[in-house]
Amino acid sequence: MSGRILVVEDDERIRSSMRLALEGEGYEVRDAASGEEGLDLFAEAPTDVALIDLMLPGMDGFECCRALRRSSAVPIIIVTARSDTHDVVAGLEAGADDYVTKPFVAKELAARIRALLRRARPAEEEPGALTFGDLQLLPEQGVLRRLNGEEVHCTRTEFRLLCELAASPNKVLSREQLLDRVWGYDYFGDGRLVDVHIRRLRTKVEADPAVPQHILTVRGMGYKLVP
Amino acid sequence: MKLGIGARITAVFGLGALLLSVLLGGISYFTVRHFLLAGRESAAQQQAFSNASLVKNSLESGDTQYVSLLAQIDAGTGAHSVLYRRSKAYVSSLSVNASSIPPQLRKDVLGGAPATQTYRNATGQAEIAVGLPVPAVQAAYFEVFDLSDLDHTMSVLGLTLFVAGAVTTLLGIALGRFASRRLLRPLSDVTSAAGAIAGGELDTRLDVEAADPDLVGLTLSFNAMVDQLQERIEREARFNSDVSHELRSPLTTLSAAVGVLETDRDRLPDRSQRALQLLSDDLRRFQRMVSDLLEMSRADAGSVDVFLEEVSVSELVRRSVETGIGHMDARRHGTPDVVVDPEVERWRVGVDKRRFERVLVNLMENADHYGGGVTTIAVGPGPAPESGSEPAGLVEVTVDDAGPGIDPAERAKVFERFYRGSASGRRGTGTGTGLGLALVAEHMHVMHGDVRVESSPDGGARFVLSLPVLSNADGGGDDDDGDGDGDGDDDATDELVGETGADA
Repeated sequence: MSGRILVVEDDERIRSSMRLALEGEGYEVRDAASGEEGLDLFAEAPTDVALIDLMLPGMDGFECCRALRRSSAVPIIIVTARSDTHDVVAGLEAGADDYVTKPFVAKELAARIRALLRRARPAEEEPGALTFGDLQLLPEQGVLRRLNGEEVHCTRTEFRLLCELAASPNKVLSREQLLDRVWGYDYFGDGRLVDVHIRRLRTKVEADPAVPQHILTVRGMGYKLVP
Repeated sequence: MKLGIGARITAVFGLGALLLSVLLGGISYFTVRHFLLAGRESAAQQQAFSNASLVKNSLESGDTQYVSLLAQIDAGTGAHSVLYRRSKAYVSSLSVNASSIPPQLRKDVLGGAPATQTYRNATGQAEIAVGLPVPAVQAAYFEVFDLSDLDHTMSVLGLTLFVAGAVTTLLGIALGRFASRRLLRPLSDVTSAAGAIAGGELDTRLDVEAADPDLVGLTLSFNAMVDQLQERIEREARFNSDVSHELRSPLTTLSAAVGVLETDRDRLPDRSQRALQLLSDDLRRFQRMVSDLLEMSRADAGSVDVFLEEVSVSELVRRSVETGIGHMDARRHGTPDVVVDPEVERWRVGVDKRRFERVLVNLMENADHYGGGVTTIAVGPGPAPESGSEPAGLVEVTVDDAGPGIDPAERAKVFERFYRGSASGRRGTGTGTGLGLALVAEHMHVMHGDVRVESSPDGGARFVLSLPVLSNADGGGDDDDGDGDGDGDDDATDELVGETGADA
């Protein structure tokens, strides 16, 4: 599988080893030692997945994520030193699609990238067009728009998550099911990925994200979409 | 029993007040008594003198109507006279007789010397008797005065002084308590500050401005001590985080680089392949150790954030056991049975799934290395909850092994860090870091659960994990069939079952 990957990591040795490992997996890798440099590289040439270390000198990883998100829906994986801090949630809220914890195994990282690239392509079985509220979801075109024709911008992960919920309206999907279908995680995947993405999605599709009308939480069970 | 400083100060004040009031009361009492008595004595003597001269004049003029003479003298004075003449005593009223005069006084006066005596009569009344010889008429004149009014005055005074003394003593005790409170207040400030610091509020300091001038030294050195303590704790936390970062970076590099080598493994010569195998195995072990150590140091620093998710306990255990089997040497011991009590099949618990997975994997590895392999893993209800406090109770997961069991004396110690019991010699190819079981306990506590060890019915060791149950109602749907409309709860804030900060 090929893809163009941007690695933003300040430690030169980690950068080199990641480049070696990812190139070994067949990816095309460009790397940057700082957030600013990463944004420049991103602007220069198309990128399929961005890997961003959260601890960067100068502009930190969160800011770098937000800056990328402002202009692009590119899948972002953040690299964090700890999984039990609020860093993970903060990084996801800054726009990241997934995270890996240092020290990671190269195969694991490659698997995460593969899952995101798979997501970046059209899924095999897409639900038909679905209208809920004043929104229209057109999975085959990869478009979410309001009935007045205005397009709602969301990342590919958010879009994919919405499509999974839309594929079976009114049916509860557990966190584990969503982790599996959207991120390719097993049972032990991090439920916070789902929670934060649902939260982000609500800000885009709900009139009042605090009182959702369409993407509902079923306590202790999961989420469902109500048209 | 040792008295506290407060009680001792109070006691000293009370005793002091008591001694002082007894002393002052006693002096006042006896001084007043002395003066009153002396006054009465001299008054009595004067009256007796004038009466004696009256008697002398009457007798010299040949009057022999002694009784009427005495009655005349006594009239209206309240005193009683007694006259001795020619060995006969004459009295003016029935209330006195010759024996009323104390014998010593009578003897002295009849011997020719005037005398005065204070005494209590046969009925207990205080009296003063004055005796005067009247040699001119060969007689002796005695006059007895009643002192009961003085007696009464003295007893009122005594009572007053006693009450005053008691009040003074009580006031002394109250003052002592007040003083000891005042004295100890800075100490109780220190106590509460120390308590707050021990509770993790490292910014707590004593107020130097408000401190007693005599205790500024204590306040300053206390604050200095806390400053140093805080600095050390922060330095340690910084050190831990630095170590974390510094160790993770090279490990990340190593792991990525070894990953590259492993991809190209087939192109390496045989010797290098074997070296690579050793390298990658030990790298994995090293990674595990580092992450265990960091986990432990984080727990010590109290900086563990837990994300608790509500999941079905039976599914959680089954999935965790699958992972555990992957970590075990199945050829050696076979795979364990998982037995779930039908009652708890749908019970739900709040856990960090990965932490629970680590707990079960650690227990299974422990059984694999030291206990002859896992025999059974069972999920069942815990002991019945105590009256109403936890309506849902506990669920217990037991892990039994085929080993010789753990000696009761060693059971509490197996959860200590780096503890290697009698099994220490059999290290073999074990990947144990000595932290596995300590981490099990740590993880369980973080998830509000617990772990203990007992012996299984087959004589092996049985580790029992207990977790509080969030819900044991059958209303919760099965995660896998995801059937339509459960009781929809639209509260978006309930997405996270629990996110506790700094929960150590």
